[in-house]
Amino acid sequence: MKKALVLFIMFVFASAAYADKPKFLEHRYEYKLEDVLKADKYEKKDRYWEAYIAGKLVGYIFLSKDWTAQHVGYSGKHMETLVGFDTKGAITGVKIVFHAEPIVLIGLKQDNYDNFIKQYIGKSVLQGMSVGNEIKMDAITGATVTAVVQNAIIAEGAKKVAASAGLIKYAAQQSHKISQKFEPLSWKELMDTGAMKNILITKEDVGQQGGKDPYIDLSFGLATPPAIGKNALGERTYAQLLQSLKEGDSAVFIFSNGPGSFKGSGFARGGVFERFHVEQDDRTYVFTDKDYIMFTELAANGAPTIKEGGIFIIRAKDFDQSKPFKLKLIISYRIGVDSKFKAAASDYKLPDKFMEQ
Amino acid sequence: MSLDRRKFLKYMGVAGAAAGASMLVSEGVKTKGKAAIGPTTAEAQTEAKEHRYEVKPGELDAYYGFWSGGHSGEVRIIGVPSMREIKRIPVFNIDVGTGYGVTNETKALLKGRFCGDTHHVHGSYNNGVYDGKYLFVNDKLNNRVARIRTDYMETDKIVDVPNIQGMHGLFTQRYPKTEWLVCNGEFQVPVPNTNPNQSPADYNGVHTIIDAEKMEIVCQILMDENMDLAATDYKGRYSMTTSYNPEKGVTVSEMLAFDEDFMLVFHWDRIRSALKDGKYKMVNGVKMLDGRAGKSDLTLRIPVPKNPHGINVSPDGKYAVCSGKVAPTCSVVEIDKIEDAFNGKIKPKECIVAQPFIGLGPLHTTYDGRGNAITSVFIDSTNVKWNIQKAIDNEKNPEEKKKNTHIVDVLDVTYQVGHIMATMAETKEADGQWLVSLNKFSKDRFLNVGPLKNECEQLVDITGDKLKLVHDSAAYIEPHDCIMVRRDIIEKHVKDRYNMFDNPLAVTKAGVERKGNKVTVKLTANAPVFGLSEVHLKKGEEVTVIVTNHDEISDLDHGFALSAYNINFVVAPFQTKSVTFTADKPGVYWAYCTNFCHALHLEMRMRFIIA
Ligand SMILES: [Cu+2]
Repeated sequence: MKKALVLFIMFVFASAAYADKPKFLEHRYEYKLEDVLKADKYEKKDRYWEAYIAGKLVGYIFLSKDWTAQHVGYSGKHMETLVGFDTKGAITGVKIVFHAEPIVLIGLKQDNYDNFIKQYIGKSVLQGMSVGNEIKMDAITGATVTAVVQNAIIAEGAKKVAASAGLIKYAAQQSHKISQKFEPLSWKELMDTGAMKNILITKEDVGQQGGKDPYIDLSFGLATPPAIGKNALGERTYAQLLQSLKEGDSAVFIFSNGPGSFKGSGFARGGVFERFHVEQDDRTYVFTDKDYIMFTELAANGAPTIKEGGIFIIRAKDFDQSKPFKLKLIISYRIGVDSKFKAAASDYKLPDKFMEQ
Repeated sequence: MSLDRRKFLKYMGVAGAAAGASMLVSEGVKTKGKAAIGPTTAEAQTEAKEHRYEVKPGELDAYYGFWSGGHSGEVRIIGVPSMREIKRIPVFNIDVGTGYGVTNETKALLKGRFCGDTHHVHGSYNNGVYDGKYLFVNDKLNNRVARIRTDYMETDKIVDVPNIQGMHGLFTQRYPKTEWLVCNGEFQVPVPNTNPNQSPADYNGVHTIIDAEKMEIVCQILMDENMDLAATDYKGRYSMTTSYNPEKGVTVSEMLAFDEDFMLVFHWDRIRSALKDGKYKMVNGVKMLDGRAGKSDLTLRIPVPKNPHGINVSPDGKYAVCSGKVAPTCSVVEIDKIEDAFNGKIKPKECIVAQPFIGLGPLHTTYDGRGNAITSVFIDSTNVKWNIQKAIDNEKNPEEKKKNTHIVDVLDVTYQVGHIMATMAETKEADGQWLVSLNKFSKDRFLNVGPLKNECEQLVDITGDKLKLVHDSAAYIEPHDCIMVRRDIIEKHVKDRYNMFDNPLAVTKAGVERKGNKVTVKLTANAPVFGLSEVHLKKGEEVTVIVTNHDEISDLDHGFALSAYNINFVVAPFQTKSVTFTADKPGVYWAYCTNFCHALHLEMRMRFIIA
């Protein structure tokens, strides 16, 4: 026990050490609060500022590292961002304070990053912002991991601050325990329960010949309830998942067919899956290959062949499996030699059947 | 796949779009085509029409194949059924790519002996099936046993076995779990080997038992016979081996003198008691029991025809099959009769329940888990599939025996097979999916690559009655044997990064330390930089460089190579390695990263400035 503790402490120390990236890849910038929201008075609150003009509240400012430090980019470091928004939830300014993203290595300039960031002005915190929809990738094409993480940093931070300031109210929902009951289900029976949701992007959607044929036909569901996970993935893969789970972790499984890929190949070098993430209320969960178990086949009787499959573990205690969440997909594709992006999303709610009532 | 993939996808698409909810699978869509890829299930077996050996881009093999590398001294990982070589694990050899045999850690394993001859790779077991923890392999050349841990897929221990030569035949305990493993001495020698003038009549063979966890020798058993291949039973009672030279011959004709040689059985309970009772002599630091005929009750000699070779136990645990080599038959020994023979209730020969004709030169036998044996036949150059029960029944029916009705199919292989192995065949979960025939000659099967040619390994589909050859693959010097382990058994153990602090040398902060003439250069490697950009040394200093890879992302390895100093090694994520050398050449020497890591990989270098 003592030994384990010592190891743990050493590990924390080491984490700091290996994060020690060379200085030439790091960029730190001076900032003032007025860079993102002009006012004549700023009042410090808990982890954010209120901005006043002539005594009237005009908006809020926060530093991302106070809210979303868990989101790290390609560099393994958080991109510290200063964000301001007005009392209606419209973004008034965004400024990068620190980043170590190797965008220069893929031929981008700081200007490109700044242009990407500028898009946020005027966007609604309350409605949310996602890459591929409200936020375009054009300015930093190629830096997908950076873009996706940067967006999570801004959108999630702003939502959380807005909720703290009372601009957003989440409906209080009853949390339920996941049922540990197992009953064998065929693929069709499992489908009928609604335990899996689908996202379809057709060839037409991505400017290819082939009309309504799928470009990517993706399904996903919560993997943790035994009646879903064990049936869909099979006893062995499910047992492997359970071994990887720590207290409070959850997992989704995703699989697809069609020429498109939800995994992409960026994770092979950067470790981050940039083509999908999960959102619940104001929280965003991005996945890395440390929390990934590959699977290549479905186990349930009558299940189809799949082209790609992966189980992705959500290592966060604030994710509630019994509450609704969203899976967001940003598929990149090419028209000729130009990269394009297609975004899609699906809501998910675990059917009552898999919860203890 | 019997279902048109395109149609199927289309169907999925339409269903997927409907209601934005989930896919529906109609009654007609039952095919999965997954049998080829995944582990077999009863369901997949009944549904799969075509046994697919092609593994398409993005798909994974269903089996980890672990291959010995013969006199290359290594072990290889082959994906089955694609037969792609995925990795080479240096064991008794130097591997300049990874730095095995270059670093201090691996030099300590090899102790200066970097020639090796690996023959038999076997896994650790739990209740008759691999537990996926370790692999063990023998070195026939320098008489060593190495262990490979499967989490890192690297050699972690090597044990020297004294008092033997020509270490051949290695097998692990199958039940209840692998606590012991055994290996044989194929060449009889003086024991101890101190008198060069000793008469060959006084040479001995030795059977060795090793503790698998500690990697220490438990004991040895002194024999007159030589010992070739090895096996263990499925109840944890015996180790078994073939012996082709009880003659103690030292020339070929002398070794062929007897018409009958032996299958030898070692009785583990009696060995344990003998050890407890102190019935051993210490020879070269090892407890040596006496297993010679008439000297103890530890061993049993079952006579089998002239010069047998392989010994393989059927997956149901019932039979040990000795392949005849010089005799055209296999001897089927019923293992449950062995205890009676040990106790003198029956004659050793009465353990043999069948001796079917197989062909000219039967060498090794493997199993499909459905009651059939498949034997490699060297001279005929075939794989012969035969039914074990039929062979036993035919012993009482000479007419049938004469007609060889036990033989189900014969497959010609190209050319001249040595070992043969089916998927999971050395476990009680033999699944009868694939068989690999490790052939010794490859002429005309591949591009001509000069006088020294590759070996030819043939993949055979064994799911049907007939043996169906589906693929040839080339192998370099010179796999002898292999096992093919279901993917799920292994992959859950395999790690993507080291635990940094398992290694006390792990560098957390780069720097240089000096103690007299000794200099330690501690380096972190973090794409794309080493922790120091230059190091200043004096000519003649003894320098130890320690490198820790601080990149956590899996697959992000770094190399460390020092120009003109004959040093290179690779560190995987969170791994630490060290190397010691004398700075005997003054000047400026660049150290650089050899393993691609980053867009600025070429810039990942530093100077060693030696004055
Ligand atoms: Cu490198």
